Amino acid sequence: MADHVPVTAVTATAAPARPSLWRPVYAVVERDLVKLWRQKGRLLSALVRPLIWLFVIGAGFEATVGGGEGSYRSFLVPGVMGMAILFGALLGALSTVYEKESGVMRMLVIAPFAHRWIVFAKMQAAAVSAVFQALLLLLVLALLGDLPATPGWPLLALGIVSTAYACAGIGMLVAAFSRTLDNFAAIMNFVIFPVFFLSGSLYPVGNLPGLLGVAAQLNPYTYGVDLLKHALPQSAGHAADFTVAMDVLVLAGFTLLAFAVSAWRFSREQAYAPLFGLATAKGGKPGSGKPGGPPPDK
Amino acid sequence: MSAAILAQSLVKRYGDFTAVAGLDLEIGNGEFFGLLGPNGAGKSTSIHMLSSLVQPTAGRAEVCGIDTQADPVAVRQRIGLVFQDSALDRQLSVWENLRFTGLLHDLPLEQTRERAEHLIRLFGLEEKRDKPVGSLSGGQRRALDIARGVLHRPQVLFLDEPTIGLDLPSRRRIWRFIAQLRAETGMTVLLTTHYLEEAADCDRVAFIRGGRIVLQGEPDALVRDLGSDIVEVSADQPEAVRAELESVLGPARVEFETLAFRPPRHDAAALAGLTESLGDRVRGVVVRRPNLNDVFLWVNQ
Repeated sequence: MADHVPVTAVTATAAPARPSLWRPVYAVVERDLVKLWRQKGRLLSALVRPLIWLFVIGAGFEATVGGGEGSYRSFLVPGVMGMAILFGALLGALSTVYEKESGVMRMLVIAPFAHRWIVFAKMQAAAVSAVFQALLLLLVLALLGDLPATPGWPLLALGIVSTAYACAGIGMLVAAFSRTLDNFAAIMNFVIFPVFFLSGSLYPVGNLPGLLGVAAQLNPYTYGVDLLKHALPQSAGHAADFTVAMDVLVLAGFTLLAFAVSAWRFSREQAYAPLFGLATAKGGKPGSGKPGGPPPDK
Repeated sequence: MSAAILAQSLVKRYGDFTAVAGLDLEIGNGEFFGLLGPNGAGKSTSIHMLSSLVQPTAGRAEVCGIDTQADPVAVRQRIGLVFQDSALDRQLSVWENLRFTGLLHDLPLEQTRERAEHLIRLFGLEEKRDKPVGSLSGGQRRALDIARGVLHRPQVLFLDEPTIGLDLPSRRRIWRFIAQLRAETGMTVLLTTHYLEEAADCDRVAFIRGGRIVLQGEPDALVRDLGSDIVEVSADQPEAVRAELESVLGPARVEFETLAFRPPRHDAAALAGLTESLGDRVRGVVVRRPNLNDVFLWVNQ
């Protein structure tokens, strides 16, 4: 026969070694970065969105409120850096929901590692692509002359990375509890915008009155922007609201908590409902199944 | 020696709907086993439980002697699963999908490349190697899905409706690929299909209905046990000729405008006479060998 092929028996009875985790985690991170790189529109809007805020809102507020030349715009720089990270990490993490819907997640659930590592890998991927987008923005800001003369580089690196992880954590929490991306507008309205507006991105946290101020203090993203403010000291002297130690502590604590909760959620089969037809109809809402006729065996 | 796949009284309930109602299976190493039944019979849910992805409500399962609930990771290490719906990433190319799968299974890149190239050749996907999966035909996508499922050389392969939604030539090609893989690796294969007649090459088949097995055995033996050829008579008004035919051919099974019979013995002359006497009242008479589909239909009579 022409199609003679080497025979390789798979009758090995010895227990194979446990697979390591670094290759799978690397695979997920690499794939998400490759996809991001190919979606030039997504990459471009990740850059343009913060720049629009910087130019339009920055200029608009300065004209309204007055103040020193360029002072509000320089106040906004850490905020728009944070924005690039927030959107980058959140969209990266939310792709998990898309992967559940499109079925790509099947490749991950059948792979030989515990399902909590899917959350771990997706969080890494979301954080790494957010850092990548933040670095691109940083480059553009440097070219535009919007960076302070003496940024604290180590602090900036710490700020970007820890904000990226915290935002990936917010995204994974949303992803872990979202069935579909149909309600993306709702996610935009009830997650992304509040997280962004109720932070120190646009104004010092102290300026937010009453409950809004409390909400900002409960918002982990606030501490990310605050850390970026420490790293990008402004000439006009707007001080950050919290200490560096406080910022790092809150960001790290929140990231671990978010990982724990979404890992728990993803280790339950209900999280994969869209992948196993039946559970879609019945899993989440007991008793909501249609009467008469068995559900389709998908 | 333990069985490749073992299921003991597996049950899965979703609310008050019972998807699988006590499944017992014992499949030997290297066996080619078909789990057959209509849509909604509980085939996919059974596979999801056997592959550790869905927790049984009751009962237990073992794959390669490992309990699916006690050590799901060890089970997934030894199995491949081709889902009924594609698991491929449409934005990535054929090679990138296989590369991703290899990394997820912790295979060294060189090994992944070697095996992927072999599978790409085996399944005739050479020209699509660097094309996005979105550009593949349905049959090519299914072939790639199977390649994805066997890249890590599993001991047990689950195929959930491998030919569903494909045209006939693609379906034949998929069966040929499965046969080649089995010849090459000797792995145990459990497949489900509702195209029952396609499972004739299985070593053993089990019919599942309403979440439990109603009949199992070797396909040839099951067909042989049916005992006779199938006579199909089509008529505009089947009920009008039913009684007359039943007196000669035995009880009928009605399907739309066709009456199917399983006459105890095949008497060509009697049949010819009968056709003549019915004249215009029937449109056609077909005598054919039975297949697994007939076994299933007559069993549920």
